[in-house]
Amino acid sequence: MNLDLFRLDPLSRRHFAERMAMTTLGVSLTPLLGFGADKSASDEKPDLTKMPGFGKAKRVIWLQMQGGMSHIDTLDPKTGETKGASEAVSSKKGDFQLAGYLPKLAGQGDKISIIRSMTSKTGVHAAGQYVMRTGYEQRGTIKHPAMGAWAQHILGPSHKTLPSSVCVNRNPDHGNGFFAAASSPLPIHDPEAGLQYAQSADGTDVLKKRLSLLDKIDSDFRTKFQDINLKAYTDFYDTTMQLMSSDDTKAFKLTDEPDELREKYGRNKFGQGCLLARRLIEHDVRFVEVSHGSFDMHNDVDDAMQDKGGQLDVALAALLEDLSSRGLLDSTLVVLCSEFGRTPTINGKGGRDHYPKVFSTLLAGGGVKGGFVYGSSDKQGREVADKMATIQDFHATIGHVMGMNVEQVVMSPSGRPFTIANKGTVITDVMA
Amino acid sequence: MKTSFAVSYVVLTCAFAVQAETKPAAPKPVEGLVYYTWHDAKGRAVEAAFQGMEGSSIVLQTKDGSIYPIALDKLQAADRELAKKLQSEILAKETNTSADKAVYRIWHDTQGHTVDATFRGVENGNISLQTRDGVVAMLPLERLTKEDQEIAKTLKPAGLGIPVDRFVAEAAAKIDEIVNLNLKTKGEKPNALASDEQFVRRVYLDLVGRIPTREETMDFLGDASPSKRAKVIDKLVTSDGFNSRMFDYFSDMLRMADDAQKAKFFSYEEWFKDQLRANQPWNQIVKDMLTADGKLLENGSAGYLLRDKGMRLDNLSITLSTFLGANVACAQCHDHPFADWTQRQFYEMASFFGTTETYQKKGGGANMLKGMKGELTQQEMQRVRKLAQVNALAVYDTGKNDVKLPDDYKYKDAAPKTPVAPKLIAWTPKDNDLRSYKEMSAALSKKGGDENLRYDFANWMTSPENPRFSMTIANRLWKLIFGIGVKEPVTDLDDVNASNNPMLLYHLSKEMVRLKFDIRSFMRLLCNTQAYQREAITKQVTPGEPYYFPGPVLRRMTAEQAWDSCVTLAIGDKVDGYKLKRAEKYSAAMDIQPGMSADEIRAKLAMGKGMGKKGPAAAKPGKKGKGPAAQAAMDDGDPDHVRPEVMQGLVLARASELPQPEKDQHFLRMFGQSDRQIADANTDEGSIPQVLMLMNGEAQSVLRSPRSLVLATAMKQEEQQQNIESLYLSFFSRHPKENEMKEAKEALDGGLSISDLTWVLFNAREFVFVQ
Repeated sequence: MNLDLFRLDPLSRRHFAERMAMTTLGVSLTPLLGFGADKSASDEKPDLTKMPGFGKAKRVIWLQMQGGMSHIDTLDPKTGETKGASEAVSSKKGDFQLAGYLPKLAGQGDKISIIRSMTSKTGVHAAGQYVMRTGYEQRGTIKHPAMGAWAQHILGPSHKTLPSSVCVNRNPDHGNGFFAAASSPLPIHDPEAGLQYAQSADGTDVLKKRLSLLDKIDSDFRTKFQDINLKAYTDFYDTTMQLMSSDDTKAFKLTDEPDELREKYGRNKFGQGCLLARRLIEHDVRFVEVSHGSFDMHNDVDDAMQDKGGQLDVALAALLEDLSSRGLLDSTLVVLCSEFGRTPTINGKGGRDHYPKVFSTLLAGGGVKGGFVYGSSDKQGREVADKMATIQDFHATIGHVMGMNVEQVVMSPSGRPFTIANKGTVITDVMA
Repeated sequence: MKTSFAVSYVVLTCAFAVQAETKPAAPKPVEGLVYYTWHDAKGRAVEAAFQGMEGSSIVLQTKDGSIYPIALDKLQAADRELAKKLQSEILAKETNTSADKAVYRIWHDTQGHTVDATFRGVENGNISLQTRDGVVAMLPLERLTKEDQEIAKTLKPAGLGIPVDRFVAEAAAKIDEIVNLNLKTKGEKPNALASDEQFVRRVYLDLVGRIPTREETMDFLGDASPSKRAKVIDKLVTSDGFNSRMFDYFSDMLRMADDAQKAKFFSYEEWFKDQLRANQPWNQIVKDMLTADGKLLENGSAGYLLRDKGMRLDNLSITLSTFLGANVACAQCHDHPFADWTQRQFYEMASFFGTTETYQKKGGGANMLKGMKGELTQQEMQRVRKLAQVNALAVYDTGKNDVKLPDDYKYKDAAPKTPVAPKLIAWTPKDNDLRSYKEMSAALSKKGGDENLRYDFANWMTSPENPRFSMTIANRLWKLIFGIGVKEPVTDLDDVNASNNPMLLYHLSKEMVRLKFDIRSFMRLLCNTQAYQREAITKQVTPGEPYYFPGPVLRRMTAEQAWDSCVTLAIGDKVDGYKLKRAEKYSAAMDIQPGMSADEIRAKLAMGKGMGKKGPAAAKPGKKGKGPAAQAAMDDGDPDHVRPEVMQGLVLARASELPQPEKDQHFLRMFGQSDRQIADANTDEGSIPQVLMLMNGEAQSVLRSPRSLVLATAMKQEEQQQNIESLYLSFFSRHPKENEMKEAKEALDGGLSISDLTWVLFNAREFVFVQ
């Protein structure tokens, strides 16, 4: 027997002790550090729920660019040595500039707030996307909820049969976190196809008989195992039946939209996804994420931006205009974000690499200012120059306009305390 | 009869030695444990809680949670007595209902020898016994006393029946002993052994990735042989289905995708399948991927590095977490906040790939097109350029290490952009004494070491002496069939002591090395343990809470298991026969060489028509039939090619023989198959679209069509009762219970058809969850 295998050493023992301290002490001490539920009562800080912007957005359309969207080639164009290949364009009122790939969005400049001082510590895609969706670093011990799931938990479901969250063009991971699977976003992998299999070919009567038999013969198995995922499946069957027996499924039908409008959003998965998002929020789905790939432009960023950036420009501009003309923009928050920015310096392959240190995001509509730029990066886009904003601050701002007190502590099923934006601070400057 | 201490748990004086070194800042005693001060013969002391006695060793837990076994005879006499007293207290606390206690008895032979052992069965006049230490012996029944012979005839075989291979059985018993010891110290009991019905369904799903057919189930249940469990395990690990199952697992882990870097990665996928089929040792497979050279079209193993073309740091980060469980991802951009990895260390590791290029800027690509301009039309040139890009996908070494610290390097030990020399990470200072590390130092100190950096790295990484390589794959494969890793997440083994059972993790790692990284042998071993063959846990298992393996956990089938089971229901076990072949044809059409004439190039373009475009993988979702049609088009002209059956637009082949990954709206993707962008990204969660698909989609419709094997077989039975029986055996690998039979009959009499019952069983939780 190889005794070496059981040998322990000071290094790994120290890791262990550190981790123990982090997990056990960290959690058990937090209430003592003024993080408890009774904090707001004793604190003299102003009541967040009375601050500007609170609850102005009834719905959110969250556009997440997958792969890391270059800030310099989109919302934070530079001159000088880090200048991108495109020529910057001025916003409608000429108060700020966008990269040349976004001329249509510039035309809607009066509707948007840009945050140019975002920063993050995560330069890896999966982990970065996780933080951007949840506000928390990825851990092996717990899954954190995305904003839509938080809202469902705190504000309740937004519709009686339709889901409160939908995610378009991606899998529903980074969704419900530690909340029940019922607050997981409903995934639509292809907006053109919409919600598939919404009808049974055999009629509801037969379906009901089958389900009744199913309940009887499957009940032993369901009671034998106390498993959350198993229980979630049973809930999904219930909600699915409710959905099927209602006529709400038309919310997913893009074919009901006029051709002209469909063209305007761009005939691609992202453009049509944005249009679907508008349709869904009209039907009281509270939170719709549309993702768009692939912004991981390590090679030839100019070529790739013309393609992907062009699609973003067309769709986002169309969405803002459409929401505005329908009178929905005031109560709908549109979010544009990505897991990180890209290096200011162009690499040897004409591309840009991962860059979490500074990057940009955009907010528009419900509760936020139009034609506004918050914070800045330095001249070359390498560092935050002014008003640093973390992803947590970004989340706090969004949670706030959605009408959630971001200081409210929610306990996970495992008894750990969490807040909506992981202790981020609401950026009040962007509130209208 | 030979008896030995199967797990002589070791003999460590280390626990004492360690105490003398720097103690961690804040030891945190576990609540509810009583700590004693133990003394060894040399007078050294350690403060620890008593966790139980096993053989001639006691197991202690120190205040920082670490667990140490110590040989009893190393302790001072007074402490030995204390240990015995504590042990008897533990035993007294245990109830005497434990099933595995009752099966041990003293056996006598005609010579007057005795042995304390469980009865594992009688076959061909021989009796199989297993001692408390796990040693398995087979001896002629007539050598026992008359009385014991009679008992053997009436006794029900205990445990797992007669093993096929006594060495496997003994190795499995060692694992069980470690698991049971751990359970005992935590005050938990192992679950009862799973029934044959539960076992057969589970073992088919785990080893061949699909449920057993009705016939396979009946064969197993009807087999009276006490060695049938061991036999079916042996049959399954050597079958074709096993390769499919392993491919499903590894393709998720390695993010294998048909479409990447504007090319098809068919050659990589098929190379990997060949490795599995030949049962190549895991360390060899990984080494081949890291040291591959040349064009993707010619050498599939180059696919691993080319998957992340131009993203050397990302690739390394994934390599380290996937194969070594080294959680270094954070260190790519800054010093790791919790572990000791620094950003500099990350770059030092990256430096091993500093001479490796994954894109041929010159030579392979554009140069090939020189002189073609006048001879080909503009349109042809455009297509040739794409061909050239595919040909430029190649791994080669430049001989010049270009790894430098990043522009924004912020630590004081070096300036940004400083060149970085290769250096290995070590988990403990003592790692540097290992042969794998010494060989590396020798290699690096040689002149011109730059040339072989990647090879030296691969040798070190896949060495049996790498402290994490064998452990990572062992932990991953354990998780594959138990549902939870001994250490979670499987991508972070930096701190082994934080695992559910450190001793088990070390032991499994050692077994992986002993079995020479033979995946089949390792899976065979795990499946032969009692731990695996126990009933699944019925309690909720909270993520992040420790789990000590009283049995496997309840799992939802993976997307691939669910799909493959579905196809098995539709067409039976012939599903394992069909193999997808695409690489050869693709390479033939795409491979261009410098100096080719315009006509030769044109011929290639004609061959490749339709192929460079997206294949069945990307056929427009929602348009049924287009996928299979495209598939059929690719098969044309190949007489050896057996086409898979197609029903309702679904290609009825195993997931491993379909596009990687499948298109968005396919059953597989809706059921959680990864999109292959992120490692280990399969999910097991339900969703409304998924349930809609199960209720109304093509799959249930295929199973309910007259052509489906499961329905046709059930309908063939004459009596209603037999119809129902048949469906239960097909879907759940068991007979219906009385109340289920009654409910089903009533429903059939009340207007539902056998086809409806098929739908019901398909939509049952018992179908998609594996117990």
